[in-house]
Amino acid sequence: MNSMGLALAIIGAACAALFAGIGSAKGVGLVGESAAGVVSVDPNKFSKVLILQLLPGTQGLYGLLTSILILRKIGILGGSAVDLTTAQGLMFLGAALPIAIVGLFSGIAQGRAAAAAVGITAKKPEHNGKGIIIAAMVEFYAILALLVSILIINNISV
Amino acid sequence: MSATEFASAVAAVKAMESGLLTHSDIEQLIGASALSETRTLMESKLSFPRTMEEVWELLNGYAPDNEVLKILLYRNDFHNLKAVLKAKLSGREPADYYISPSNVSLHDIEQALTSKEYDGLPAYMREAAEEAYDIATRTLDGQLSDSLIDQAALAAMQRSADEYGNAFMMRFAALTTACADIKTAYRCSLMQKPRQFLERAICGSTELDKEFLIRAALSGTEGLLSQLEATSYNEAVQMLRESPAQFEKWCDDIIVEHAESARMQAFGVEPLAAYYIAKEAELKNLRILMICRECGTDRDTITERMRKLYV
Repeated sequence: MNSMGLALAIIGAACAALFAGIGSAKGVGLVGESAAGVVSVDPNKFSKVLILQLLPGTQGLYGLLTSILILRKIGILGGSAVDLTTAQGLMFLGAALPIAIVGLFSGIAQGRAAAAAVGITAKKPEHNGKGIIIAAMVEFYAILALLVSILIINNISV
Repeated sequence: MSATEFASAVAAVKAMESGLLTHSDIEQLIGASALSETRTLMESKLSFPRTMEEVWELLNGYAPDNEVLKILLYRNDFHNLKAVLKAKLSGREPADYYISPSNVSLHDIEQALTSKEYDGLPAYMREAAEEAYDIATRTLDGQLSDSLIDQAALAAMQRSADEYGNAFMMRFAALTTACADIKTAYRCSLMQKPRQFLERAICGSTELDKEFLIRAALSGTEGLLSQLEATSYNEAVQMLRESPAQFEKWCDDIIVEHAESARMQAFGVEPLAAYYIAKEAELKNLRILMICRECGTDRDTITERMRKLYV
């Protein structure tokens, strides 16, 4: 059994969950700070700012999904790990990189956009939807990265 | 400090901004038929925070670091220094003239002037306090000591803004200084003050050079105005030609216009400073409005005197 291949694949799965998770945590945290600021002045705006706070959380979910797909494909989740060559392991690691890297940066960027959009909700609550759209635009790139990661994982033959 | 560390404070300030008076609120207040109606309307429209002390307390509570914001209070600090110095020399109660919010307590200023130990004052005030006290007691020239303190306040604002490297505060300090310098130069030219006095009274800034203003003021009032017309402050000259009150309004308006530049910022200390300036303008408007209504000033004049609103 080539343990190096398997180790590389597991590192890939870990990276997907880790970096995308960090991006989301930072993003959600930043929006949370803004949201808390608004709610401290006007508690009625809680539900509106909560939607914005959730937006940067998706990158972490995409990372988790990618991670599960890799772990399932290499048999870790089923309890019987597949024998992987080093090249295959590197392929899984490479497959994890798009969502890991894009997830990290887009989570932070979306957090900034959503925190700024909290300002719209704070001042003009009737335009809350516009703030959500502005912040959601960043999501597109995280989805693209997720798509690439999934396509690569599905096309690695084990 | 990272700008995003102000995320919570900025969001809270944005929420509070929705409580600022709008143009239609002001029009309604001006249009009220009786003084009592104006008062009732004002009570209903003016939202918390209602005083500058409350504004400062709120901003302090939200801001993770208020060092840059403290620059906004420098003028109050130095006003209090002037007030305590004068009260002390004339045997009056300084508390009656003390304005808040301020970075320096009345007790600290009193203590410093009484003991002549200025270490209890912030570094930006020490030298001015010592020198002003010396001038006021030695020469009894209250005008000179006042001018010296005013100049020191402006210089301290600019110096601190530069030290923090905050572009918003640097511009705020420069604009405030330029307006104050024009006012000083204008008054000095009217009173034909000598160069020696001007050097102590005019501060100078990146907006208007000190030496330029001194020379212009020494050339007489018309000379000063015509030389200022050639600068970016030609609008200020038009206002000065109309009336000093119009010039005062113009000065307040350009500061609010500057504050508006921070309105689009989602992070950083700038929206907090802008809110402070906005609230100050709002409360000043209400003060002018109430005084005008009490004096029976006509509505057009009141409208003319209203400062620019932030919202």
